[in-house]
Amino acid sequence: MRAVVKGRIGVFHPQGFLDGNNVPLLLPIDDIKATEALNIDMLLVSLKKVIFFNKNGFDAFVKFLNYIRDQKHIPVGFCDYDHQKFKTIYTFYKNDINFSLFKNEKIAELFVSNNKSDSKTVLVYNPDPSQRSAMAIELFNYGHNPVVCQNQSEFEQKRTASSLYYAIIEDTYLGFFGQKIATRITGNAVIYTVSNFIDAEITDTFNIAYHNNSLNVGFRLFIFDAYKVISMNIHALNFFTKLASSAAEYNATICFVGLTFEKTPESFKNDLEDAGMLFFNSMDEILKNKELLNDLGGCGGGTAKQQRALNKLLINQLQLLIDATVSTITMMTNTSATKTSVNLHTLSVENSHEQIASSIGFYGDLDGLIILVFPKNIAKKACELLIGSQDVSDEDILDSLAEFVNIIGGRTKVLLSEQKMRLDITLPRTYADIDTLLEIAQNKKGVQVNLDFEGQNFIFFLTR
Amino acid sequence: MITSQDVHNYLLAIPAAPTVVRQALNFVQEGDLVKAAKSANDDPALRHYLKILVNRPLYGFKNEVTDVAQIFGILGLSATQQTLYNYLLSLLVPKKWSLFALTNGQFYDLQASLSKKWETILTHLGIQDKEILSVVSLIPATIIVCDALFSSHKDEIRQLRSVKNLDFSTILQRLSGKDLFDLAAEIGHLWGMSETTITLIQNSSGLNNTLSGEHKLLAQWIHLLLFYELSQSTYVSAGLNEFIDFQIDFVQEIYESFTTVMIAS
Repeated sequence: MRAVVKGRIGVFHPQGFLDGNNVPLLLPIDDIKATEALNIDMLLVSLKKVIFFNKNGFDAFVKFLNYIRDQKHIPVGFCDYDHQKFKTIYTFYKNDINFSLFKNEKIAELFVSNNKSDSKTVLVYNPDPSQRSAMAIELFNYGHNPVVCQNQSEFEQKRTASSLYYAIIEDTYLGFFGQKIATRITGNAVIYTVSNFIDAEITDTFNIAYHNNSLNVGFRLFIFDAYKVISMNIHALNFFTKLASSAAEYNATICFVGLTFEKTPESFKNDLEDAGMLFFNSMDEILKNKELLNDLGGCGGGTAKQQRALNKLLINQLQLLIDATVSTITMMTNTSATKTSVNLHTLSVENSHEQIASSIGFYGDLDGLIILVFPKNIAKKACELLIGSQDVSDEDILDSLAEFVNIIGGRTKVLLSEQKMRLDITLPRTYADIDTLLEIAQNKKGVQVNLDFEGQNFIFFLTR
Repeated sequence: MITSQDVHNYLLAIPAAPTVVRQALNFVQEGDLVKAAKSANDDPALRHYLKILVNRPLYGFKNEVTDVAQIFGILGLSATQQTLYNYLLSLLVPKKWSLFALTNGQFYDLQASLSKKWETILTHLGIQDKEILSVVSLIPATIIVCDALFSSHKDEIRQLRSVKNLDFSTILQRLSGKDLFDLAAEIGHLWGMSETTITLIQNSSGLNNTLSGEHKLLAQWIHLLLFYELSQSTYVSAGLNEFIDFQIDFVQEIYESFTTVMIAS
């Protein structure tokens, strides 16, 4: 059984009856290795389609999840259960619950980084005060607005106005959380929250894959929210210096906000400034100063001072990348797409108001960004296999488009691995309107391939 | 990937029921087991199949049973009809399974186990109808069809399923307009099975929300029975646990009774 990856969460979907005999068979060695190789921030087992489970079956999953947690330093746990199942699990493990429980995937998604900058207001209740606090801190660190109820009656009263909240968090438990540095996005800035003593452990807790993703999909401003940092040591200094050097390649800016130097050597500040880091006293100094934000690159990739040019290595693989796109479309629709023109210039989109887009970056032995621009009806047709129903919202189409480019990214990875090239792919990003896409891509030179699909044009654009 | 034309071509390639089996089924319909046995005896492959089937430990016979008339006598009318349909299905079993890590022996074990448990369930429900008893024979057709249609698309399916939790039946339905249960029902139609049987096969996908009464009850039991069997270690290893979507809400109301019947059997 393989995990389904949505955003930064991998989810297993077992079905039927789970016991100590069959659970180990759901997870053969190959599938465990494939799970270890996933680029994810959380791993869950969905209990949505499980009608029966016993302690032995659950133990087998817990053992596997703990193994993955130790290997990848990510939160693990279970999701998609009703109150009865939650109570049963809690009874099984009440004195030794070292995994997390999320009532559903929607709630779990609030506790991981994503590419979206929208802050959600959520209602939180847990009878255990320490759990309430832990959830509030994590949610806040991920950029959300938790409304925490202190008792059951307050919760019952507030939940009556359910439309005010994106989600109501109950029957949820955070176990061994905070292993990764929390990340949120505000506008076009990525904010990392760091706290306490920063030492060599930061190489495990900082999600470098996510950071590289963000650079590749066009983010240029990274802020370390360091109000709660007490001090850092030389290992942390080395880490941040290296991070600043790699960011310089993308013309990105890294800032520290709220960092004090009472217990951290003042010389570290000089070293970090030499590496290109900037220091600010408060977040508002950056986020509320549009001119400064623009200078720092927090208003989109269009402000970047240098553009990374296409290189020969990438151009050599152009046909393979187009093939991965075309074969995915053929697979998903049983209809072929044909190339109509190829040009080297900046992205040019006609009738942009009727189009939607998605992008996915890749990095490793080769790095670049694939952008697909579709007429809305073609996007819907391309995603019909994923969506199913004819009657779908624009949001559903965008979500499916993200899954669609993820498949293209996966195929690209497989095809390039046959040439012994190792790649990682970024989170897909979708654009409900082309203006947002152009903010990031308008100054980028790339190869634009126009493709014909059922008589309509869609664009494949490859850039760096 | 798979097109409606591929599905159409697959159905065209399904062989018609052999004359001997058709004759035997007709005699069973008329209630004449002796003539049915005589007819079945003319087909060595059928004779061999029956001998292997009834001597499985599941049937619990102390001495080996080899005579076809004796086998039919032991099984009775309804179970004989069910067994003849099981045999028909066995003709579609591939020489080598490709999509699923299954052996033919394991597949026949699944057929036999489903048949015996379905019989127990119908006894519990107080239903004595040989058409309804035969339904379970065609359910494993979904596995055969799935293996045949998807075996050359394993990589594509793996990529698709890496981003979305889609079962094979749903993928097939979205690509061709027909799901695995629809195709099993078409095979049943081709082999002249009754409308009752065919309708119940389609209902057992658990996706028809308009069902009520006995139609719903039987569909619930067969759906849950299928997942109970597919949760056995052998079939989990074979990859059968995730080839169709388990409709947990559809079966929730009979779950307690199901557990009671399975524990007692």
